[in-house]
Amino acid sequence: MQTPRPRYSAAALLRARFSRHFWKPLWNPAKPQDHYDVVIVGAGGHGLSTAYHLARDHGIKRIAIVEKNILGYGNVARNTTIVRSNYLLPENHYFYEDSLRRYEGLSRELNYNVMYSPRGVVDLANSDDEMVALARRGNAMRLAGIDAQLLDRPGLVRFAPELNPYLPRRYPIMGGLVQRRAGTVRHDAVAWGYARAAAALGVDIIERCEVLGLTTQAGVASGVETSLGHIRADRIVFAVAGHTGAIGTMLGIPLPVETHLLQAMVSEPIKPLVGSVLIYMYGHAEVYITQSDRGGLVMGGALDGMPSYTREPAWHRLEEIVQSAVALLPQIAGVKILRHWAGTNDQTMDGSPLIDRLKYDNVFLNGGWCYGGFKAIPASGAACATLVATGTAPDLIRNFRLSRFASGHMIDEKGAGPYPVRQ
Amino acid sequence: MSLFTCPFCGSRNLEEFSFHKTLPNVAGGAFEEIYLRRDAPSHSDEHWQHRYGCRAWLRVQRNPSSGEVFAVELLTGTKP
Repeated sequence: MQTPRPRYSAAALLRARFSRHFWKPLWNPAKPQDHYDVVIVGAGGHGLSTAYHLARDHGIKRIAIVEKNILGYGNVARNTTIVRSNYLLPENHYFYEDSLRRYEGLSRELNYNVMYSPRGVVDLANSDDEMVALARRGNAMRLAGIDAQLLDRPGLVRFAPELNPYLPRRYPIMGGLVQRRAGTVRHDAVAWGYARAAAALGVDIIERCEVLGLTTQAGVASGVETSLGHIRADRIVFAVAGHTGAIGTMLGIPLPVETHLLQAMVSEPIKPLVGSVLIYMYGHAEVYITQSDRGGLVMGGALDGMPSYTREPAWHRLEEIVQSAVALLPQIAGVKILRHWAGTNDQTMDGSPLIDRLKYDNVFLNGGWCYGGFKAIPASGAACATLVATGTAPDLIRNFRLSRFASGHMIDEKGAGPYPVRQ
Repeated sequence: MSLFTCPFCGSRNLEEFSFHKTLPNVAGGAFEEIYLRRDAPSHSDEHWQHRYGCRAWLRVQRNPSSGEVFAVELLTGTKP
């Protein structure tokens, strides 16, 4: 049973100054009960958000989230905190725009500061052809009611003064496409905020409880076998992000998924320099740079390039990413890298997510997030909860079904073909 | 995991090799071959190329959870 929690506000903060008993744990660890209406596997962003929406929007009472490790230990802790909806294809941009709009109001909704910072995300172009491609993407976004603005070089200088587009480079910077409402969100706060809100609605959060298998009865799933015993469940949701492939293996279901590593790194703190999110894709490599509130430059690039579950980033990719970063911003050449890390990506065959039933009528998969998991959390939870509660997928995620590969309705944003490593 | 053993060139740095795709290991036809995978954490069966070396196409079996390489062989089976 969850203890009542204080509502956060300026007045509450003042009261807390004079009270020893104001601050409570955001959620209390729960012991698994015998039976739940819904069991969600994975206490990451998508699992927590799905649980929150199941409890709040659909009034489902008995919900458990079981987590192999600790809450928010996977990709919600490993991403580069960028939120955006600057996608070309309508299947993607309507969905991610829904997510971005939810992020804009998330601090108020959860009563927990997720530090949404609309600092702008700009994709840079190296050639006139790429400017044409960015213009096409921007026009597609604007037709869908999403903000987008094409910047030429003078516009780029005004938007990002730290960047000199006139500098001679092997891959020159011709301009960019900016989405100003896009930006960053404090990633851990999203996990903790959803956990606090879900726990307040009565969701059981069970950490250090590994799911070992699915039990079935008469052709439907009846529960999950876990390291803390069997838990019966009417409906089961797998929201395990980078371990979707492992779930497929556990259940014996081949999936359109390969598991790859994506790494990121952060530099030592420096004075405010990068005011937005800069994305520089050129030739075969890429880098994106943002600066955290603490001053560290947060950087990432392409996939490590081979299937892996190790979470150990490859050194040659690190080198490539920092070289690209210095090509973009030569003034950071002397800055040292403090930490680098990797997360496992469940890369799908078309680079777009999977939210659908999985083999059984009462088992659901929320995964295949590739690079796009963090920015999708609020919309994914709301839409997945609707699918689980009503049995019908809302329009927003109807295109994310598993059968799209057989029916030829791939959502291949990059046009890369069925090669997960290139998505 | 930093070294692969190419059947022609011997032990070489991983950066010389490029990964192409995983093999499905799923029974079925062209659809399964192209789109479905058994993405097991303990075993992965892959096509690679020694791209920045002898350019041979290779079949590599690895453990993606530990990085251990079980076998590297030529796609054609034997050396010409």
